[in-house]
Amino acid sequence: MSNIWKSVKLDFSLVRPYVKTICFTMVLPVVFAAINRSLLTGISFAMCFIAMTTGYTFSITEKNSMERLYGILPIRKSDMVIGRYIFIIIMGLTALIFSLIAHPVILTILGESIGIFDYISAAVTGIFLFALYTVFQLPGYYKLGSIKGRVFMYIPVAGFLITLLPITKSPVGESKLLFTVINSPILLMLLAVIFVIAMYVVSISVSIKILKNKEM
Amino acid sequence: MNNYLEVKNLSKSFDNFRLHDIAFTLPKGYIMGLIGPNGSGKTTTIKLILNMLKRTDGEVKILGLDNIADEQAAKKSLGVVFDSNYFSDDWKVSQVEKSVSVFYENWNTQRFSELLDKFHISPAKKVKELSKGMQMKLMIACAFSYDAKLLILDEPTSGLDPVSRDELLHILSEYIEDGEHSVLFSTHITGDLERAADYITYISYGELFFSGSKDEFMDSFRIVKGGREELSDDLGKKALGIRDFATGFEALIKTEDIKQFAHLNMEPATIDDIVVFTSKRGEQYE
Repeated sequence: MSNIWKSVKLDFSLVRPYVKTICFTMVLPVVFAAINRSLLTGISFAMCFIAMTTGYTFSITEKNSMERLYGILPIRKSDMVIGRYIFIIIMGLTALIFSLIAHPVILTILGESIGIFDYISAAVTGIFLFALYTVFQLPGYYKLGSIKGRVFMYIPVAGFLITLLPITKSPVGESKLLFTVINSPILLMLLAVIFVIAMYVVSISVSIKILKNKEM
Repeated sequence: MNNYLEVKNLSKSFDNFRLHDIAFTLPKGYIMGLIGPNGSGKTTTIKLILNMLKRTDGEVKILGLDNIADEQAAKKSLGVVFDSNYFSDDWKVSQVEKSVSVFYENWNTQRFSELLDKFHISPAKKVKELSKGMQMKLMIACAFSYDAKLLILDEPTSGLDPVSRDELLHILSEYIEDGEHSVLFSTHITGDLERAADYITYISYGELFFSGSKDEFMDSFRIVKGGREELSDDLGKKALGIRDFATGFEALIKTEDIKQFAHLNMEPATIDDIVVFTSKRGEQYE
């Protein structure tokens, strides 16, 4: 097992006692999707919610002074950081997959029809928004810790409110570029993947630098 | 390799404190006590050894490996116990093993179970349900389960009752019995060291005061006692510290100076005496 996966496993151990809370965080946005009758806004809300739990690992570490444990483990700081990002991404993907199953079921029961395009656009938007929130949150937590850096927990809320309006109100037809991108699922996915990877590479590099310079 | 820990010219500057030019060597198979008053730099020294703080200058070798360049390899053979638990409070003891064992290739699950039995720790208990002494034993059990060659303990006995302290010292004595393990043990409860330590490193106000064998350390000083009228200027100059009473005085002097004061009562100095008397004037002693 590589040191990165060992780090992922350690992070999973940290949040294990809080799994029920995290599951509740995944379930709650279903209600929002039902009220809003939109898969896209439901998924966006779900990713906003799950992104608000990314500070758990930092909170638990800080609460238990576990930086001392991390300080004595035979593992590079860069591996610790990459491991934590992978763990957070796994959490986000789990929430996304759950939402992509649960939300359509509820919406279908409520009489909404959902096509393949809705799935793709919701999934891509969900991944993109989650990445957008977490690439700012995690370096913030590394820099300030979860208590001083609590403000970073609310990035998803601000981000959700900012993106909610364009998602629900903006008529796609008014923007040629948006129209082209949205009507080409492959282009949409490709662009999203490139952006997400680029954002995570920069964010991980910043977090590693912060942790390497941090004294415990 | 004869030395498990080598610290050379280790320095660290903070805004309001400076650890300067600390140097000591811990040979294989021995226990070294790291002593000094609160705030003298013991924990800073340990954190620098663990590369948890960035040193300003100096060099640290753990089992012959540089503590920064070979950090991962060095830490594979290093066990650390802090003054308080560093596991998640919500973990069960069995979860501690699952979480930590993956980082050590030579983790021995059977050994861990045996140690839990020996220390009377239930694997089903949560870390927060363990007493402070039990939490410390859990950290030790982890370190012993991957056969850490060097064990570093930072103030492990602070807050422990005398029975738990005695048990800890017994555990450490057993640990070094085979001659293949060493212990660096920081404490301000110096009575523990008189029982367990082979070597002493004494840091006072960020400066190295002494590093060498415990016997040499204790033989280097004597307590002189007498009436107030016997406290001469000459003694005042030679004394490393003086405690005045209404009826007399006690002073700490170097053993090499005792001939001059042979007419006074002499007693061997305890580690506590040496630390207490010198802590106010430690910087004057060379």
